[in-house]
Amino acid sequence: MLSATLVLTWREVVKWVRRRPVLVMSLVTPIFWIALFGKSYNLLNLVQLQVQGVPQVVLEQVRSLLSQAVEKIFGTTDYFTYVATGMLAVFALFQSMFGAVGVVFERRIGYLTRLLVAPIPRSSIFFSKVLGSMFRISVLSLVLFTIGLLMGMQLKPSIGPADLLGTWGAIMLLSLGLSSLFTGMAFNITNQEVLFAIANLVNLPLMFSSSALFPLDQMPSWLQTVARVNPISHTADLVRYLLIGKPLPEPLASVAYLMALSLVLLGIGYLAAQRGMREA
Amino acid sequence: MEEVVKAGGLVKEFNGFRAVDGVSFSIRRGELFSLLGPNGAGKTTTIKMLSTLLTPTSGDAYVEGYSVTREPGKVRRVIGLVPQDLTADDEMTGWDNVYIQARLYGLSRGEAQARAREVLELMGLWDAARRRVGTYSGGMRRRLEIAMSLVHEPSVLFLDEPTLGLDVQSRRGLWRVVEELKRRGVTILLTTHYMEEAEALSDRVAIMHRGRIVEVGSPEELKARVRGETIYVEPLDPGELERVKNILEENGLEAHVIEGRVALRVERADTVLPQVASALQGVRVKSMSIAKPSLEEVFIQLTGETLSGEEHVDPFSFRRMIRSVRR
Ligand SMILES: Nc1ncnc2c1ncn2[C@@H]1O[C@H](COP(=O)(O)OP(=O)(O)OP(=O)(O)O)[C@@H](O)[C@H]1O
Ligand SMILES: [Mg+2]
Repeated sequence: MLSATLVLTWREVVKWVRRRPVLVMSLVTPIFWIALFGKSYNLLNLVQLQVQGVPQVVLEQVRSLLSQAVEKIFGTTDYFTYVATGMLAVFALFQSMFGAVGVVFERRIGYLTRLLVAPIPRSSIFFSKVLGSMFRISVLSLVLFTIGLLMGMQLKPSIGPADLLGTWGAIMLLSLGLSSLFTGMAFNITNQEVLFAIANLVNLPLMFSSSALFPLDQMPSWLQTVARVNPISHTADLVRYLLIGKPLPEPLASVAYLMALSLVLLGIGYLAAQRGMREA
Repeated sequence: MEEVVKAGGLVKEFNGFRAVDGVSFSIRRGELFSLLGPNGAGKTTTIKMLSTLLTPTSGDAYVEGYSVTREPGKVRRVIGLVPQDLTADDEMTGWDNVYIQARLYGLSRGEAQARAREVLELMGLWDAARRRVGTYSGGMRRRLEIAMSLVHEPSVLFLDEPTLGLDVQSRRGLWRVVEELKRRGVTILLTTHYMEEAEALSDRVAIMHRGRIVEVGSPEELKARVRGETIYVEPLDPGELERVKNILEENGLEAHVIEGRVALRVERADTVLPQVASALQGVRVKSMSIAKPSLEEVFIQLTGETLSGEEHVDPFSFRRMIRSVRR
């Protein structure tokens, strides 16, 4: 099984590398988002406002008070840094969904038939898709991270290789769970429109009900409840904890949660995929 | 003789509709066996069951002694399938498609490269191997499908309508490919709704109609079951068609005008021909020919319907549509 999985994963990688327009497009979206949200909503800009008739000294004090408040809420005075780190988690979500589209397409163009009639375990078809997505996310996250740095993302001063590795690990855990779920689902869908509809239904709510764009304590309490079980939140929190040093009371609890959830989603995705591949 | 494929009472129902309704046959080693039938006869469904892509509702089939229901993994090792719908990844090159296929069948990198080259050359695709499949012509795509199915040297090859949508020239080209594979000893199950194709290639033909096999035999045997032959008389002057017809009818023969010729249905042409010749003494005749019964006539006699039925949708135009959507 391993060799078939490797061959098919290699195929995923080769296809992806050769399809440059898709590669570029998949990067443009998150960069656009970072720029849009991060730069235009920069909170300190609000504080820089000049208010007519108020003495300069008072303004200075208000400004510093607000900065402290912003720092306390976001873990950084720079909202751009907040969004850029959160976007790493959101990006894994989007890419996991994109990866699943390939499954529907391969059924449509008939390539899946080719695989189903080959003497390879059907699980290798599923795993190659998941691994392919995880590979893509790894590379794209690195690119996104670099671009974030170039655009002015501020890391914590004490950042080390372990933090970067941990960040990657957190993103991979999230990707494993989400890719498994979406891939498994895609094996049971024959029409890509249905998948796009599901993507629209799932992606934005998952993003907004997480701490990726806004901190939890700014949310109404019902949304906080949702955000607390949302794996995007846990990943975003872990990434911020590791990259910019935003305090996180129990990082290990988040790791454990992500691991457990990913395993469950892997199981669900695997069974769904097996079901979807029973007959061609 | 050894039976390589053996289907016993295969039934496939789709929501209560019996697409295949109790099909049994066996194919001997090295034989080319055809399923001939019109659209919707159940040919593809039969092939899908034999190649483990569909589970039979009831019945079973054996390929090289392995049950398709109980040992699908072993069956997959020994068969090659060229499905009716194209399967190659048109974003990759012909080489990629074949090479990956070889790797999936467990060949090492070196073996896979050698084998990929071998089958691509065999199919006359070596020069186009490094081109994206999206740029291939319909005939090339079909040959690529066959190349992909041959990487593991299957002992049984299923060809589901391999010439569908091809022009006459590419179709002939593909026939030669099929004949070459047969010469190499591959057992082949072919489906088609072109009777010339079944007639030209097959050792034995099973005529399929509405999910059932209505007759099996060599093309000659099947045709021998249709009584009679046809004599065609073509007058030099087309204006004399009616006159020829009348003269022949006066001689007690059954005559019809078909596409510029007068057709005579007779028991045995060789004994009737002298009589026809003497009756037509006063007419300038361009040609006279004898037609042996064709599989088409066999089919008409067995089912009361013609083989062609409604025309096929060209599968390539569908693929092209998908490709353009993808861009
Ligand atoms: N998945 C399916 N669900 C429902 N009906 C099906 C399915 N597959 C095939 N059928 C039906 O079963 C019948 C036989 O189809 P099949 O594709 O086997 O015919 P065929 O002989 O291959 O025809 P063609 O020459 O058009 O390829 C048809 O009436 C078809 O509509
Ligand atoms: Mg068919």
